[in-house]
Amino acid sequence: MEFEAVIGLEIHVELNCATKMFCDCPNRPGDEPNVNTCPTCLWFPGAMPRFSQEALEKACLLCLGLSAELQPRSAFDQKVYYYPDLPKGYQLSQAHLPLSRGGAIDIADEDANPKRMRIHHIHMEEDVARLVHEMEGRQPISLVDFNRAGVPLVEIVTEPDFRTPYEAMEFLKALRTQVRSVGSSECSMESGTMRVDANISIRPRGTAQMSTKVEVKNMNSVRHVGDAITYEINRQTAAVEAGEAVVLHTRLWDPDKKATLPMRAKFEGPCVPDPAVPVIELSHEWIEEMRARLPEMPGVRAERFVTQYGLTGEEAKSLSSDPAIAGYFEAVIGQGIAPRTGAHWLTTALVPAVRERRQELSSSPVTPARFAALLRMLSHDEINANAAREVLMQLFESDEAPEAIVSACGFRQVSDAAALDSLIDEVLGAQPAAVADFRDGQGKALGFLIGQVMQASGGRANPKVIRELLSRKLGAIS
Amino acid sequence: MESVFIYRQLEPAAPKEGHLQGLRIAIQPTISVAGWPTDAGSNALVNFTALEDATVVQRLRQAGAFLSGSTRVSEFGFGLRDSKAGEALRQQTVDAEVVIDLMGESRLAASRVAACGFKPSYGLVSRFGLVGLIPSMESCGLLSGSVKNIRSILKAIAGPDGLDFSLPDEEVPDFLSQEVDPRQTAIGVLAEARDALPAEQQQAFRASLDELKEAGFSLREVSMPDFPLFSTVHRIVGSVEASSCAGRYDSVRYGRRAPGARNWNDMYLLSRAAAFGPLLKSYLFQGAFFQFERYDAYENACRIRGRLVAEMKRLTSQVDCLVLPAVGCAPSATTVSLADTYAQFYVTAFANVTGQPALYLPPPSDGGRVGFQMAGPRLSDARLLALGECVLRVRQGGR
Repeated sequence: MEFEAVIGLEIHVELNCATKMFCDCPNRPGDEPNVNTCPTCLWFPGAMPRFSQEALEKACLLCLGLSAELQPRSAFDQKVYYYPDLPKGYQLSQAHLPLSRGGAIDIADEDANPKRMRIHHIHMEEDVARLVHEMEGRQPISLVDFNRAGVPLVEIVTEPDFRTPYEAMEFLKALRTQVRSVGSSECSMESGTMRVDANISIRPRGTAQMSTKVEVKNMNSVRHVGDAITYEINRQTAAVEAGEAVVLHTRLWDPDKKATLPMRAKFEGPCVPDPAVPVIELSHEWIEEMRARLPEMPGVRAERFVTQYGLTGEEAKSLSSDPAIAGYFEAVIGQGIAPRTGAHWLTTALVPAVRERRQELSSSPVTPARFAALLRMLSHDEINANAAREVLMQLFESDEAPEAIVSACGFRQVSDAAALDSLIDEVLGAQPAAVADFRDGQGKALGFLIGQVMQASGGRANPKVIRELLSRKLGAIS
Repeated sequence: MESVFIYRQLEPAAPKEGHLQGLRIAIQPTISVAGWPTDAGSNALVNFTALEDATVVQRLRQAGAFLSGSTRVSEFGFGLRDSKAGEALRQQTVDAEVVIDLMGESRLAASRVAACGFKPSYGLVSRFGLVGLIPSMESCGLLSGSVKNIRSILKAIAGPDGLDFSLPDEEVPDFLSQEVDPRQTAIGVLAEARDALPAEQQQAFRASLDELKEAGFSLREVSMPDFPLFSTVHRIVGSVEASSCAGRYDSVRYGRRAPGARNWNDMYLLSRAAAFGPLLKSYLFQGAFFQFERYDAYENACRIRGRLVAEMKRLTSQVDCLVLPAVGCAPSATTVSLADTYAQFYVTAFANVTGQPALYLPPPSDGGRVGFQMAGPRLSDARLLALGECVLRVRQGGR
C-alpha cells in the first residue's frame, strides 16, 4: 500500500522586543546567566505581570504580515505544567482566545505548482527558563537560567496541509522571509529565535483517514526539519507495514544519529484564564493603524517588480525577499539605472561582496548613489564590465567618487577606433595562426583575437568596438 | 496561647504626615512588605521575605499610617481557622487591619470581634504584592472599629496602579462623606440568604432589621432564587484558580525542599506534598479534579458566574442596598473540612463571586441582635460606606 504523510507545523518565534513580555527586564537571553531577571519574571509571590505594548505591536505586525485575521478580543490563560524550567507551574499563553485566526503562505511545491499553506491561528506566550544539564564532578546537576523566562513569543500553528518535507521546508523559508520583512523577529533556527515542532502522521494515499500523529521537536535548522520529517515518515511507514500501531507521543530529532528518539512527556493540563492579565481588545482603528505600518510583503513586492520594472520572476523574487536589498534596488534605479542592469549587478556583484565583508547593505560604504554612478559609466560604455567589478571593490576601500577612481586608475574604456587600430594591427601581425584559423571558418579564433587585443589594451578597450574593428579588418583581408 | 502577631514593628516617636497620620494598621503575611516575612501562613513559603512593598502597603505609608506588624493568617488567607484577623483590633494594639478576603474572611473576622469589616469592589484596589490564591475573587478586606476609618483607608489605597495592569479603566469613586436620608433610602432584604439561617438566628437577624426600620429606612424583601449557587460557583471556580495558581508556591526556591528525592521530579512532588496543610491540600486537589477531570463543570461554573453577576446587578439596581446576614450555617471557628469552611462562608462568598462591595456592621452592644452585611453594586463603595456610617450614627443617637 502506498502512504502519504499529513504534516502540520507549530512554530515558535521569539519577538525582537527590547524587554520581556511581562516585565521591564532586557530581552537578551544570551547574556550571563540570570542577570536579566526581576521578581516578576522569577515569579516571586506577589508579582504581577505587566503586559508589554511593544510585544503586542510586534506580534500583531507578524500576524498581519501572514495575512492572519487579528481577533478583536484575545486573552491569556495559565497553561499548567510542572517542570523546573517553569517554576511557577503555569505558562502564560493564549489557549482559548488567540491573537489571530487564519492566514496563509503561498509556496511552490516540488513540481513548481503553487500551493497555499493555511495557518490555523497565531497566539502569544511567554518563553520559559533554559535548563542546563552539567556534571559537577561525578554528580549530574541541572541549572536554571531565567534570562529567557518571560521572553515574548508567538506560536504559529498551521493546518495539516503539508504532504512532503519539501513543502514544510519551503514554508519555513517563506515564513522566515515574511517575518523578517515586518521586523518582528530574526527567525534564526540556529540561534533559537525560531523553533519548529512538526506533527506527522501517515495514511493510505488518497484517503481522508485521520491517523495518530507523532510530534517531533529539537530541529535547529530548516534542513533538519526536512530530515526529521523524512525520517519520521519512513519510521511510521515501516511500523505500519510491520503491523505495529503508531502511538501518540513526542520525539526528539537527534542530528548526530539522524534519527528521532522518543522523549518523556511533560504533564500538561487544560488552561485556566488568568485575570491578572487584562483581556486584550483591539479596535478596528488600531488594527488599521498597525496595517498601515506594515511594510510591503515580499510576494506583493516581487509581483510589483515584475510589472513595474520588467524584471523576470526569478530576478524579482531574489530582490524582494530581503527588504534591505529591495529598498537598495529601488534607490539605485531611482537614479536612472536600467532595472535589469541594476538587478543583475546588485545580486551578482554587490550583495556577495557585502556579505564577504560581513557588512550590512544599508551601512555599506557603497551607497546607492555611488553604485548608480558606477553602473551609469558602465551603461554609457565609459568602462567595461571587468573595470566595473574592479572599481566596485575599490569603492569599499575609498571614499572617492567612482568617476575619480576610474580616471585615477586609468580604467576609462578605450572606444576610440583610431587608438585601437594600431593595437589590432599589432595583434594580427603577432598571431598569424589565429588569423589563419579564422579564415578556415573557425569562429572561436575571433574570440581569441578579441582577448589578445583586450590584453594589449591593459583591459581598457571596449570589447564591442574591438569586435567591430576586428571583423571589418579580417573581412577585408579575406 | 499563640501570639496574634508573627512580626511586629516598633512604633516611631513621631508619626508621619498624611490623612492617615497616627493610624496603627496591622497587615497579614499575605501582603508583601519589603524585608518582612511574607510566608502567607504556609510552609510552602516559610522563610520567604518579600523584596518589594505591595502597592497597598506603599500607599498606606505614604498617607501617614503606621504598619504595626503582621498577624497570623490561615494558609494563603483561605478561611479563618488559623487566622488571628481582628484580634489585634480587639486588644486595641491597632486601629485597623488589612485582611486578605477570598470568600468573606474580613467580614466574618469582624463579626468575631464586633468590629466593622469591609470588602471593596474587585478592581478598586491594586493586587500587586498580594500573595494570592484565587486571583479573580481576592481583595484587600479592611477591619476597623469605625466605618469612617475604613473610608479613610480606602481613599488612600484605591485607584489605578501602574504595577497592576488588571485594574479596569474606571473612575474611582469619591470617598468624601455623603449625606444619607434614611427616608429616601430603600433597603432590600435578601430572602434566600435570610432563610438559610437556623431558626434561632433568623430571630436575631429580624431583630437587627428592626433597628434599620426604626432609623427610618424603608425595608422590603427581594429575592434571588439562585443565591445557593454562589457558594457552589465559588467552590468550583475558586478551587480551580487556586490549583492553577498555587503552582507558584513550589516550596523549592523558598520554603523547604523535601529530603530524600531520587531526582528533581520526585523532589518537586515530595516538596509540594509536604508543603501544604490538609485544608489547602484538599482545596487544591478539588481544583485539580475539576481542571483535569471535569473541565466542563469548571466552564459551566464560569458561565453560571456570569449569569449570577447579571442577576445581582439587576437586583441591586432596584434598591439602594441589600442587607443580609453575615454568619453562615456552621459558625464554628475550628472547621477543618472544605464543606464546613464553605458552610461557614455561605452568605459572604457571593460578593467575591460578583466583585461587588460588602460591609459588615456589628450589632449594638445591648444584645439580642446580630450583625449584618450590606451590599451594593460594583463601585458603589463610597455610597455603601456612607450608608453604614449613617446606621452607626443613628444607633448612637445621632441623625
